[in-house]
Amino acid sequence: MREREDQSNQISPLQLLIRRKCIYLTFSEETKGRSNRVRGHSTQLSVAMAPPPPQSHRSPSPSQPSGKSEVSDLKSQLRQLAGSRAPGADDSKRDLFKKVISNMTIGIDVSSLFGEMVMCSATSDIVLKKMCYLYVGNYAKVNPDLALLTINFLQRDCKDEDPMIRGLALRSLCSLRVANLVEYLVGPLGSGLKDNNSYVRMVAVIGVLKLYHISASTCIDADFPATLKHLMLNDPDTQVVANCLSALQEIWTSESSTSEEAAREREMLLSKPIVYHLLNRIKEFSEWAQCLVLELVSNYIPSDNSEIFDIMNLLEDRLQHANGAVVLATVKLFLQLTLSMADVHQQVYERIKAPLLTQVSSGSPEQSYAVLSHLHLLVMRAPYIFSSDYKHFYCQYNEPSYVKKLKLEMLTAVANESNTYEIVTELCEYAANVDIPIARESIRAVGKIALQQYDVNAIVDRLLQFLEMEKDYVTSEALVLVKDLLRKYPQWSQDCIAVVGNISSKNVQEPKAKAALIWMLGEYSQDMHDAPYVLESLVENWDEEHSSEVRLHLLTAVMKCFFKRPPETKKALGAALAAGLADFHQDVHDRALFYYRLLQYNVSVAESVVNPPKQAVSVFADTQSSEIKDRIFDEFNSLSVVYQKPSYMFTDKEHRGTFEFADELGNLSITAESADSVVPAQQVEANDKDLLLSTSEKDEGREPGSNGSAYNAPSYNGSSATSQPLADLAFPSTGISGQAPASNLAIDDLLGLDFSVGTATTPSPPPLNLNPKAVLDPGTFQQKWHQLPISLSEEYSLSPQGIASLTTPHALLRHMQSHSIQCIASGGQSPNFKFFFFAQKAEAASMYLVECIINTSSAKSQIKVKADDQSSSPAFSTLFQSALSKFGLP
Amino acid sequence: MCMENGSFYSDGVFIQDQLDLPISLELRWGLRRKICGGATVSVCSSSSKLFVGEFGSWYTGSEMPVAASAIYFLNLRGDVLINRLYRDDVGGNMVDAFRTHILQTKELGTCPVRQIGGCSFFYMRISNVYIVIVVSSNANVACAFKFVVEAVALFKSYFGGAFDEDAIRNNFVLIYELLDEIMDFGYPQNLSPEILKLYITQEGVRSPFSSKPLDRPVPNATLQVTGAVGWRREGLVYKKNEVFLDIVESVNLLMSSKGVVLRCDVTGKILMKCFLSGMPDLKLGLNDKIGLEKESQLKSRPTKSGKTIELDDVTFHQCVNLTRFNSEKTVSFVPPDGEFELMKYRITEGVNLPFKVLPTIKELGRTRMEVNVKVKSVFGAKMFALGVVVKIPVPKQTAKTSFTVTSGRAKYNAAIDCLVWKIRKFPGQTEPTLSAEVELISTMTEKKSWTRPPIQMEFQVPMFTASGLRVRFLKVWEKSGYNTVEWVRYITKAGSYEVRC
Repeated sequence: MREREDQSNQISPLQLLIRRKCIYLTFSEETKGRSNRVRGHSTQLSVAMAPPPPQSHRSPSPSQPSGKSEVSDLKSQLRQLAGSRAPGADDSKRDLFKKVISNMTIGIDVSSLFGEMVMCSATSDIVLKKMCYLYVGNYAKVNPDLALLTINFLQRDCKDEDPMIRGLALRSLCSLRVANLVEYLVGPLGSGLKDNNSYVRMVAVIGVLKLYHISASTCIDADFPATLKHLMLNDPDTQVVANCLSALQEIWTSESSTSEEAAREREMLLSKPIVYHLLNRIKEFSEWAQCLVLELVSNYIPSDNSEIFDIMNLLEDRLQHANGAVVLATVKLFLQLTLSMADVHQQVYERIKAPLLTQVSSGSPEQSYAVLSHLHLLVMRAPYIFSSDYKHFYCQYNEPSYVKKLKLEMLTAVANESNTYEIVTELCEYAANVDIPIARESIRAVGKIALQQYDVNAIVDRLLQFLEMEKDYVTSEALVLVKDLLRKYPQWSQDCIAVVGNISSKNVQEPKAKAALIWMLGEYSQDMHDAPYVLESLVENWDEEHSSEVRLHLLTAVMKCFFKRPPETKKALGAALAAGLADFHQDVHDRALFYYRLLQYNVSVAESVVNPPKQAVSVFADTQSSEIKDRIFDEFNSLSVVYQKPSYMFTDKEHRGTFEFADELGNLSITAESADSVVPAQQVEANDKDLLLSTSEKDEGREPGSNGSAYNAPSYNGSSATSQPLADLAFPSTGISGQAPASNLAIDDLLGLDFSVGTATTPSPPPLNLNPKAVLDPGTFQQKWHQLPISLSEEYSLSPQGIASLTTPHALLRHMQSHSIQCIASGGQSPNFKFFFFAQKAEAASMYLVECIINTSSAKSQIKVKADDQSSSPAFSTLFQSALSKFGLP
Repeated sequence: MCMENGSFYSDGVFIQDQLDLPISLELRWGLRRKICGGATVSVCSSSSKLFVGEFGSWYTGSEMPVAASAIYFLNLRGDVLINRLYRDDVGGNMVDAFRTHILQTKELGTCPVRQIGGCSFFYMRISNVYIVIVVSSNANVACAFKFVVEAVALFKSYFGGAFDEDAIRNNFVLIYELLDEIMDFGYPQNLSPEILKLYITQEGVRSPFSSKPLDRPVPNATLQVTGAVGWRREGLVYKKNEVFLDIVESVNLLMSSKGVVLRCDVTGKILMKCFLSGMPDLKLGLNDKIGLEKESQLKSRPTKSGKTIELDDVTFHQCVNLTRFNSEKTVSFVPPDGEFELMKYRITEGVNLPFKVLPTIKELGRTRMEVNVKVKSVFGAKMFALGVVVKIPVPKQTAKTSFTVTSGRAKYNAAIDCLVWKIRKFPGQTEPTLSAEVELISTMTEKKSWTRPPIQMEFQVPMFTASGLRVRFLKVWEKSGYNTVEWVRYITKAGSYEVRC
């Protein structure tokens, strides 16, 4: 909390004001222009200025007052009225105030009226007062000196005889959020908490929390938390109690990191007396407060089973509540309470089924979406619960696609032996859907069901029918699925191959589908009589194939085909290897070279490498570890469930990373395409390629302009994680040329063909030797990364040559690989690059994981090392540094 | 310090040590049956000691309650109509992030929750307004959306109906006031229109007298704000005491092209309008199976014959005494004044479909289609449906259509690629037909790729419930013992009524 406060202080109110004004000026110049032109202009502005401009720059529409003259007009009118006690003055004031507020709303800066507004505020009209409070609350922060003027009348209003006015004044007083005015808050808050009117107390309680956020020490020193605690237990008004609870939870949670006392108090909230006190009054609470209490109680640990049953009996009727949030909170509580009692836990699933299904179908699509996300989580834990209610998840024609998508996932998850037929029939209907993304999803869903089930007979037929539907996207999706299916059920090859053989490779354009088709051509070349010729024609069009994934698959497929039907494939193989060796893509080139050497060395060894007998894949790897799933379950009824990742991954600053890298890493998983039985490192690189692709895709549409700010522009959490790079940006980064030949290294390697892994192990410092062939899959990496503590965190400088060579992340990968440090993921664009490396100690299992952030404009790299064996990490760090420093040197 | 059923806790506050469980013979959870309140195992002695565990070891869930940081109202262009920043933990540029990352991209409408930077955005479109809630931590999604829905309902009740860009522009001061009341520092407060209207008296601009709202007494209002019956104020007087009950059902149907019902259910709600004096106690009886059985069991008389229905699930307005519903299966409540939604229910078994649709669509070669649709009304001959619309999809490349209909009117609507057949008044037990010939432009590019969307139907059938639900009685008790007039209406509407063809 404290930290956050500091950050907000960094942008001084004055700066904000200046910024706001300059925007305002630009607008007044542009006012006459057409509104969309103004909007375009403002977007440009937001890119050009380091932190984007304040929220509301709206184009003034003709009917709205605009420009400076209007403001000064208002000012003089307000002046006239300020002292007037004439009858009807309040009415004219009201109109003027409305104009001021309306200008404020559309983003025109009316802060210059502050003095006049305050002068006019001496009135008994409550609506006028409210408008005035609103105005003051909006501008006090940017005008701290003027805010002092308002303190007086606000304090006076806090003693008004009308409780409404007392409450409103107190709320406004606390909303000023000006740090040097806190001393004026303590008095009114103290009396507000003791007010005999519940409205005032309700406002005062939240006021205490506001005070805490402005100045924690003032709040603690005034002993407000203790008062709140007393109120929470005594106050007859439930909204006051609820507000106390929220305030105390927030205050004690943020205090508990520094004070044991606060930590104890926080846990006190979960003590039996307090929990029972709140539960016994649950029906009096408003629906929102009920959510709050239920959420609190779900963290309570009852002492025995009878206590659990008591709580559940008491809250049983909450499942009938009209507010879906209350129902979900109750569901969470029930599930958490019964975790230790397996049989009751099952009964809970039965009990919550009907209310949850009601929530899906009632309310807005957005609400359904929220509930469906939760159902999906539940069904993952207990697939049987909704298996007889699958019809609830049939999509309606007019539903938004996000609801449909979740429903498809539900249908996939609930499919079992008894309902598969109906579900698959329904899914096939969607495959012809007008909404193409949904059609694709539904085909994938059919495939997933096929991979889950034992009896796939009927499903295979359906998939093959898809192939005959002659729609590009249907064919593409179906091909990918058929490929996966064949990997799991090789016994279906005869049926599938017959249909796949009829598909012309010219009709398949999508890389994934094409790769799948090529894989099947290679794998089943003995059964597809024209396989060699199809492959040959594909090789002939090598240069037109843009996807490296497809080219990689093509190489492998031609190899496989060659071992099965050598005479027919020989020509194609020669052509493919030649084309591969000349390929500009590193991976393709490497694989071609690898095959070439392998064939040169020994053909039968090559066959055993490329075409070994395969075992059917029994289970495809799950994308999420069970630990993560449990974490998400613990955070039931929150965003974690919707995002399908635990909260630390999206709320922690550290995990969020500079350019949301953690997210990308989170999505890394062993993809089903890793069919090739080749070196896993290549798989990793393929993944890595995807990752790069996706990051660079994201960059489009942001700002294609100067290479410098490309990455920093979109980072909205600029104040926290990116502050370093932002600062670096300040000095001109013209030195980096985006045009430096990217293929430098590739050419070097091509020429120096006798490069080999053995000799490449560096003349490293003797004590630590690395395993040159370390292997680690992304899943394990991710897991380890979360588990291990940071054992070392350092910053190095890079050589200028190194910087010059680092135009793409790939260049560094290859370099580090030659030092036995493998890359598992990388991303970024000049000047910021981010890498995740790993290395393994030679003759030992211990791994080193490295996160490396390189900023080319400052020639600095920051690394974080995590290691199984912490003691050796300094040695490793030296090794890493020496490897890094050699980068770019001839 | 330990008393029989509770203990003194700090500052001399007496806190009950046990939960006030409903005094009932049937408790769902656990094996024990309570004979009367509090007579079970005493957990008093062991628990008056407070549980203090290791620091942070088990407080694993959300670390603190989650509050909204800001709420924005944007128009379709992305201009801010009104906004309220509740907390300082998000920057003012948040709305720009929303604009550039969601509103102006293809993302729009693909997912109502999205994370940008460190903040999560929840957005909803209501008529021509986007409402965006920004939170900086792990928020409660269901709560956030429900809050928006409730807030919109509240605004509507103030504006008198519409909620759109104009309504916001015309009432921005009022909205600011309301935004301040319904949420404080990001925590939802009171959203009940009945109570708020007591002290937010500035009316929407539809009233020309809005400049003098202070004529009404305000000061006492705050006493009501948080009274025990939060949804009703005391001292209401009506000359004529009336209650209006509307049972509104929407039927959802999905039928396959072979006439098999794939999915069919009814979601119903009971809307109530109360103009009753004082603090009346109401009791509603329906013909639902469990309620009837319970009643006959209590009164020890056999269940009356007649149709009973089984409700899959019910949810109630907060005024309904849920404990009594669970123990006695009766719906009893003290109603709010004016209009409100008393309950919602869901039924999947034994649904009476009001219409049957029998389509035959033949594609004759590449350029011609023959469409025959028969719609059969299966409700009573004396009843009739209103506003029946049947939308029959045709391919995009439709060039010319010609129809014959036995009832109503039909035309081709190119914007939605449908033949739209409208029948204003559709009597029961009739079966009008439409036959149409459709000529298509022959195109070379489109292969046989017309995927037939389902036929969709809209209708309203008054005095008919697809579920068969009936109100058996509505009893009103009030101290003064006045007479009330009760009105009941039934109506069945089409929800998503789809027939594949």
